[in-house]
Amino acid sequence: MLDLIIRNITNRKIRSALTICGIALGIFAVIVMGAMSENFNQTFERSISVTSDKIRIFSESGVFGGGLTDDKVSDVLRVAGVKDAYGILMTTFDEDKMGMTGKQILGVPPEKSSVALYPVELKSGRFLNSGDSYSVVVGNSIKREYNLQVGSKFEIHDKYFTVVGILDYTGSIFDSAVIIPLKTAQNLYSMGNSVSYIFAVPDERVDAEMLSKRIELSVKGTSTLSPKELEVQAEQSFMIFSVITISSGLLAAIIGGLSVMNTMLMSVSERTREFGILKAIGAETQDILLLTLGEASFMGFLGGTLGIIVGVVAVHIINAWLATTRIVLFMITPRLLIIAMLFALLIGALSGLYPAYRASKMSPMEALKHA
Amino acid sequence: MPDAGIGGESLETKEKDENKNRWGNEGQKVIMLVENLSKTYMQGKIPVHALRCACITVRKGDLLAIMGPSGSGKSTLLALIGTLEKATDGKIILDGIDLTSVPENLLPRVRREKIGFIFQHYNLVPTLSALENVELAMRFSKVTKKDRRERAKSLLEDLGLGDRLNHKPAELSGGEQQRVSIARALANKPALILADEPTGEVDTKTRDSIIRVFKELSQKGQTIIVVTHDPEVAKECSRVLRIRDGMIKD
Repeated sequence: MLDLIIRNITNRKIRSALTICGIALGIFAVIVMGAMSENFNQTFERSISVTSDKIRIFSESGVFGGGLTDDKVSDVLRVAGVKDAYGILMTTFDEDKMGMTGKQILGVPPEKSSVALYPVELKSGRFLNSGDSYSVVVGNSIKREYNLQVGSKFEIHDKYFTVVGILDYTGSIFDSAVIIPLKTAQNLYSMGNSVSYIFAVPDERVDAEMLSKRIELSVKGTSTLSPKELEVQAEQSFMIFSVITISSGLLAAIIGGLSVMNTMLMSVSERTREFGILKAIGAETQDILLLTLGEASFMGFLGGTLGIIVGVVAVHIINAWLATTRIVLFMITPRLLIIAMLFALLIGALSGLYPAYRASKMSPMEALKHA
Repeated sequence: MPDAGIGGESLETKEKDENKNRWGNEGQKVIMLVENLSKTYMQGKIPVHALRCACITVRKGDLLAIMGPSGSGKSTLLALIGTLEKATDGKIILDGIDLTSVPENLLPRVRREKIGFIFQHYNLVPTLSALENVELAMRFSKVTKKDRRERAKSLLEDLGLGDRLNHKPAELSGGEQQRVSIARALANKPALILADEPTGEVDTKTRDSIIRVFKELSQKGQTIIVVTHDPEVAKECSRVLRIRDGMIKD
């Protein structure tokens, strides 16, 4: 049957090619949007896993509202059940690029740097130590971009820092992080004693959710985000992002599917007499269904394959092009490829369902009378 | 076709005397019996009797012509025998099978195994070669690729198309296309071949060659029913049935 299916597709070369291109375009969109979504997903998941055991405390007026200072750390530490607490100042590294590169300065108390970055490990060197002021630990992407090694000098905001440690690759925001002592960061950016967040580490036997609420009640002017709340919030943000990106890809693929349906309806209509002949010479209803559905699915398969190939190549080219700016926008995962191919097959098969049903239900006598 | 729910009893007892059998088929078994076959269409609320109480007995090897003016019911009779349409009343017993009681889902199998069709307009699949068109009929019978290719080739060679095997219908003359159509009808070794105006589109020379093929097949025991307007075709057949206003006259 496959030879007949291929024959029928190749006999209408231009029409089939256009239909396959329609599906390919849709699947291309699914791949590009999906790859963007996958990249954000992976970065999100890894970033969250790094801070998943900590309670995030920020100013009541929000991260950008200010008002959160070092003093609050001691207030947080006084809350029963808090094992440790430290403030972090977060700002963009490339101020001229509006933070689009994703590179961030993290000001952390030097003696807490290993705790703050846990479970991220060092590739070489050491974490920050007490007494460090112009020392820096850099993420793996920063190291590659600036060709840094332990001992290298690194310019930040017109000041030279000595690289003391390089982090292992994590696939998270920490790859693009520049970690310097908190006080140095506050001075460098004239932030007084402000911090962006305070992280509280709960005691082993303390329920983080309860502790989160307790901190919010005990430390005035703060809001908290427990590990669970952070996860939910992150999932929601990611879900919205995924829905927007993937649905735009799916929409394009559905339009491709409609072009298959249109082609198949035209094909079935043109071949009415042929189906009559097939029925007269003994073709079963399922033979006609298989033939028509097979054509639509095969076009879906070809369109899907083409869309995936073009999508993967395009994503690779864009990633390579953006590599100079250290922005990674896309990530192709096996899951994405499988979903895209299944979707292409599904679109093809679903679009062929109605034309196939029409073809299979034709009365042979009526079909033979068709001009 | 035992699962068609039809007994395979001999129909010898039901056969009628057929003295007009030019090929000496009197001693042959009855291959098809049509009893009181009727077909009524509804045109709005008005019933149109396309065929009324037709009774026909056909023996193995008969070459039977059905003649009649346009709209007389010839093609309806052929469509009913070919199971392409459902009869309003009556019975068609072909090779021991009551076609009128075969369930709808088994009709394709009946058409595959018992009936071969030849159409006025050849009705070949335009995108397939002569060989593939003949193979197509066997494809649905699940004949292996090797066997169907060999049989299709042999049939086309027997019909003088050995050098046209890979030609598409558009590359063949009308006569050649009709011979491909005959080969396709013979592919599954049917009990009966139904030919609807097979010479309607060809010149007299081709018509004569088609008739010659039919006569040869008939002499080898193949039963053929030919619907025709052409008296020259009818003259060459072993029997002629005339049909007018849905009524058959033997």
